[in-house]
Amino acid sequence: MPGKKIPLSIINSIMPVILALLIGGIIIAMIGQNPFTTYQVLFQQSLFTPQGLAYTLHGAGPLILTGLAIAITFKANIFNMGVEGQFILGGFIAGIVALYCKALPGGLAQFICLIAGIAGGMLFALIPALLKTYFRVNEMVVTLMLNYAMATVLEFLTTGIFRDNGSGYVTTPMIPKNVMFPRFGDTRITLFFVIAILVFIIMYLVMKKSVLGYETTAMGKNPAFAEATGMRVGNKIVTLMLISGALAGLGGAGYMLSDQYSYTLNFSANPGMGWDGMLVSLLGGHNPVGILVAAIFYSALKNGSQDIDIFTGVPQEIIAVIQSLLILFLSVKFISENTHALDKIRSFFHKKNGMEEE
Amino acid sequence: MISTILFDTILYSTPIILCVIGGNFAYKANVLNIALEGMMLSGAFFSMFIVYFTGNIPLAIIGALISGLLLGLLFSFLGITCKGNVIVIGLGINMMVSGIAAFVLRLMNSSNIYVKTINVSIFKVNIPLIDNMPFIGKIISGHTVITYISFLLIFVAWLLMYRTKLGIYVRTVGEDEDAAKSVGINTDFYKYMAVLIGALFSALAGVNLSMENLMLFTNNMTAGRGFIAIAAIYCGQGKPVTSSLFALVFGLAWALSVDLSTYAGSASGLFNIVPYILMTVVLAVVSIYRYKNNKMRGYKLE
Repeated sequence: MPGKKIPLSIINSIMPVILALLIGGIIIAMIGQNPFTTYQVLFQQSLFTPQGLAYTLHGAGPLILTGLAIAITFKANIFNMGVEGQFILGGFIAGIVALYCKALPGGLAQFICLIAGIAGGMLFALIPALLKTYFRVNEMVVTLMLNYAMATVLEFLTTGIFRDNGSGYVTTPMIPKNVMFPRFGDTRITLFFVIAILVFIIMYLVMKKSVLGYETTAMGKNPAFAEATGMRVGNKIVTLMLISGALAGLGGAGYMLSDQYSYTLNFSANPGMGWDGMLVSLLGGHNPVGILVAAIFYSALKNGSQDIDIFTGVPQEIIAVIQSLLILFLSVKFISENTHALDKIRSFFHKKNGMEEE
Repeated sequence: MISTILFDTILYSTPIILCVIGGNFAYKANVLNIALEGMMLSGAFFSMFIVYFTGNIPLAIIGALISGLLLGLLFSFLGITCKGNVIVIGLGINMMVSGIAAFVLRLMNSSNIYVKTINVSIFKVNIPLIDNMPFIGKIISGHTVITYISFLLIFVAWLLMYRTKLGIYVRTVGEDEDAAKSVGINTDFYKYMAVLIGALFSALAGVNLSMENLMLFTNNMTAGRGFIAIAAIYCGQGKPVTSSLFALVFGLAWALSVDLSTYAGSASGLFNIVPYILMTVVLAVVSIYRYKNNKMRGYKLE
């Protein structure tokens, strides 16, 4: 059976992509633009030029991390919707800590900033985790609400205490040069992408090969049964939420040190890296390798959206629409793994061939 | 001062109450609808969009309600007929509405939709007798039409939920779907109805938010009110009157954060977190209280 399940899950990921692009194309045609040239511009630069591809990989770094952050909790049927808040908090803390690391050597300074970002993400994830474990407070509602609270707090800090008064717009001061991740050659790729890949490998091993990974799947399938077999579900919830928060915090910190360099109110853009992570995780079927591919695909989409804004008359906001359509279509399994649709098609053709032979 | 806060409490409660009494039905039918936020934003957007181009207010309200219903149908189709994950669908719809609004605003080359020619004072109702009362008049009179409608709708929703076949069937479906099926109830139909009621009321909340009070739409102006409503529904366990009371508490928090922030000087920005934090605390306290009386062990699949 495993041989058959892999193509099915790929079909279930590709069908929504095609459908979303199709509807996006109709919308583009409706505003009087050519959908084919738009999509050509969208993917040509971002995937088929060395410079563009490097930029796409660079952009995939934080998406891999937020995607994994979502996947590890969703797999256990816990809904950590706070990845967005943990991401911006991690970025903000890294950006502030960086300001005090001017005198340190680069590597050490970056390490401190990343650790600070991870700690921030974990602490923020701990609140809903403890409320869920000890008091059965619905973690989804809490994390959704705390995202707003976090965005407001950071906006307050950015416009107030930590504002860079020399700048014309609301932002924290630029982080010192020695803390920024240097670029490899003249590409946009930095050491952060390598870190993201390393974390990906670790998470692959954790989710696929470790006891925790199996227990996560068991919890997701049936928490009551998992508890009955002696698993301490409460502790696992805290652990998973902490891992999720750490991944999101690391994503934010790395994004700060490798791309943004200062915290602005638009740090995570709209709809935000945390939500992009959810799309990436869904697109990859909550599966580490799938997430890696999905993160690169989605990064190309985001990267190319800037090109369509410049070279065509289509606003880049179309990407947010396509993204939401993708999420909607991905929520539904087009071909259920139980219907054996492929088998039916195959046997249908076999019958036909057989009849011809007769 | 106190009368201003109480007046604003009613003002800020209105959209939350509408979302709550609508969302209760989906909660009772065991379909968690977290797309209330997007449905509300859709109502806010389409009402202003139609007013901007036609100037026709009744048409705008009808258009907004239809947009909400269409989103409700989309949600139900994907979530109930196709059996998708309703949480993911809900978030998808929230993002879609905000994405479409951003896309259209960009095409219009504007960051908001604003209609100057229509004054919002036409929506204000001064109740004849109460208006002249010293303290109460200032609080209760002078609200907009939908505000009064929303408070009436609390009791309509109560009637609908406890005194009609629709409400009883919706609750039955939510409690035990298999049992409902076995006695011949068309469970999908009642789930659809439950979601659609929520969609309709949320769209109305959006109209109240953008058109009635401001004649202005900016993207993401709903600012998490839909999620606050879900918290209120959880706190009130889907009971129309109880959860509306929780909605009022959050309205009060919102009013306090707005009215007190004018005295706070440089810290005023921080007051905006009051509703969200208060919501989290109230939800936690309610859950702790309920959990204390629950002797069951373990975690149930949500």
